Amino acid sequence: MTDLRDARISRAQFFRMMGGLAVAAAATACSTNPQTGGTTAAGASGDAAVSLKFVGVADQKAPMDVLLAAYKKAKASVSISVSYAPTDQVQTSLRTQLGAGNAPDLHVVYPGSGSAMSMAEIAKAGLLADLSAQAWTQSIPTGFKPAFQQDGKTFMYSAGSSVIGAIYNKKVFQEAGIDTPPTTWTEFLGVCEKLKKAGKVPIALGAQTPWVTQLINYALVPSTVYAKDPTFDDKQAAGQTSFAQSGWRDSMEMYLELQKRGYFNDKPNGTTFEQQTSMVATGKAAMAIQVSAVLPAFRDAATSPDDLSMFPLPGSDDASTVWIPAGVVVGLGASAKGKNAEEAKAFIDFLGKQENINLWAKAIAAIPLTQDASSTIDPAVESFLPFTKDKAVPFMDQRWPNAEVQPTHFAVVQELLAGKSTVDEALKKMDEAYAK
Amino acid sequence: MTLTTQPVKTPPAARVRRIGRAAAFAPSWWFAVPALLVYAGVVLYPSIVGVFYAFTDWSGIGEGKSFVGLANFRAILGDEQVMGSLGNTLLLTVVILVVQNGVGLLLALGVHAKLKSRALLRVIFFAPVVVSPVMVAFLWKYVYTPDPSAGLNGLLGLNIDWLGDPSVALWSIAGMVVWQYAGYSMVIFLAGLEGVPKELHEAAMIDGAGTLQRFRYVTWPLLAPALTINLMLSTIGGLKLFDQVFAATNGGPGYATETLSTVLYKQAFVYGKFGYSTAIALVLALFVAAVSLVQVYYLRSREVAQ
Repeated sequence: MTDLRDARISRAQFFRMMGGLAVAAAATACSTNPQTGGTTAAGASGDAAVSLKFVGVADQKAPMDVLLAAYKKAKASVSISVSYAPTDQVQTSLRTQLGAGNAPDLHVVYPGSGSAMSMAEIAKAGLLADLSAQAWTQSIPTGFKPAFQQDGKTFMYSAGSSVIGAIYNKKVFQEAGIDTPPTTWTEFLGVCEKLKKAGKVPIALGAQTPWVTQLINYALVPSTVYAKDPTFDDKQAAGQTSFAQSGWRDSMEMYLELQKRGYFNDKPNGTTFEQQTSMVATGKAAMAIQVSAVLPAFRDAATSPDDLSMFPLPGSDDASTVWIPAGVVVGLGASAKGKNAEEAKAFIDFLGKQENINLWAKAIAAIPLTQDASSTIDPAVESFLPFTKDKAVPFMDQRWPNAEVQPTHFAVVQELLAGKSTVDEALKKMDEAYAK
Repeated sequence: MTLTTQPVKTPPAARVRRIGRAAAFAPSWWFAVPALLVYAGVVLYPSIVGVFYAFTDWSGIGEGKSFVGLANFRAILGDEQVMGSLGNTLLLTVVILVVQNGVGLLLALGVHAKLKSRALLRVIFFAPVVVSPVMVAFLWKYVYTPDPSAGLNGLLGLNIDWLGDPSVALWSIAGMVVWQYAGYSMVIFLAGLEGVPKELHEAAMIDGAGTLQRFRYVTWPLLAPALTINLMLSTIGGLKLFDQVFAATNGGPGYATETLSTVLYKQAFVYGKFGYSTAIALVLALFVAAVSLVQVYYLRSREVAQ
């Protein structure tokens, strides 16, 4: 025992001699953990660094790569080990870890309340650290607060918002003789008809990938529902209205009209997101109704990435009542119960600095949460900016009361596309899921 | 258990004494104690503790849970999604049971014959079994591509949306599972076939029995134990089917390929209803146990009757 302790001290002394100031500084940092400091050999050798664990969703890899490198420079004593998984898998593995009580220090959190890994669900279980004291939280735009906050406290970090609209191949549009993107629903149908006549698939739809099924409704509902009644969410929560009684019906019918007119690729239910991406990127199809966060994936698949741009999908015949969906992009939170909670929160504070918000937003073509002179906005989403002030609504699921409505929406859209269900039945199922 | 044509010999007295003494000093089950302890700690204990959650409304995370009695079990009966998936699960199980074992038996008879390439064929037919079910599902997503010029469509000159058409998708999944596990059934049948004494076939031939008659009256009865095992394994496999469905269709399109396992998975991890999910899992486990017991009881009695 004595030998062991002596050995440790001599090793620590050796490091101090060799490492000088750097090690001394790290030792000070580690003193926030007095119960481990110096009691075990691991504690002594761990003086060099605090190690945080981050579990994220695949979409977060690109911005995290950039920001982890920046954090390494700013704070060398903290290392962050990362792992990423696709949406559905990350939900399973994270919920298992959270349920078993061994949450990673930092992990992905979905905005609002509509999924099993949403900010509201996890905050309600007491598993997210309160970030309200951090400076960046003061400038969260009012409209976005429900996505970040529960009971007035901020539990999630996100770098900005993404929009849903038509990602389109400019070259294909030109070849079909279309000069400007449509601004009303009728014009949009006209554009599709022209594209179809030019022998192109007007809209690529990869409805076998569940989350893709929802996007056309998400793009239309701001115009068919919220433009008419901006307080729809509150009324629905109060039981005064429902999916079936609202413009959701129009949006579902418009969705099916696109299919009836033959504007989708053949067999959308057998087509995946990846196939959808490649159809637009290679010019086989002209458009895909998608979220701007996947623009980088479309550009990666294209031979000339500059051919790809976006425009808002006009869900109304009057251009002045076209609204757009602008949702907070998937974020991250700090574990409330981890022993490194302070270090984890410090990392989020770092992400909240304006230059880092800018870096994150750039990597995923998002509109930065807050902007300064150095903020850049992807040219592809510039056409959405005129809407973001007062004609934009968060993604619908961010206000849904439970995690069951969204998967029900996926399933009923697939049934509608397969002709196995009617709009009435579909809306009834969604209302039932909402009431659960 | 199978053929007991020879009279049972009475063991000599000395041997009985020796066995008696050995049994007293070294009961054979002692050897199993370490394994039983591990099994109890790793499997039994968590399973039994898990049952507790079926009576709560736990979301799967956090501390908040309360005892809700039998509410979860009552909810199952009124849950369209669970009942729909039960129908899918039973249909899949029956299809897999019949086709997988039928194909397995034919393959076994084929590679049991005195072919030069039979060793190679056995390996080829068994190969899919060792591949991970998720891999198989990904592979078959390419085979089942809706593109009329590629995959199975291209090969057969068809234009079918194998995984995207709700009326076809369940059958496509069944096909995938049968493809993977027919080789497994084959190996078990093959073991049964190896155990059929040549003398019986020779005797039957002398009596003038043809190939079909020899199969019906000699081979088939002697394959009864292999059949019991195969039917039981494929029933359990079918009722629990998850990986292939989850990776290929995620229960879709709509709810067309939802099985009990995918529903209970979604309840726990997508909808955040861990307590309810555990209740479904418990019902599924009891259901599988009941079906297997009935099956074994019936098939075993048939074996003895041979």
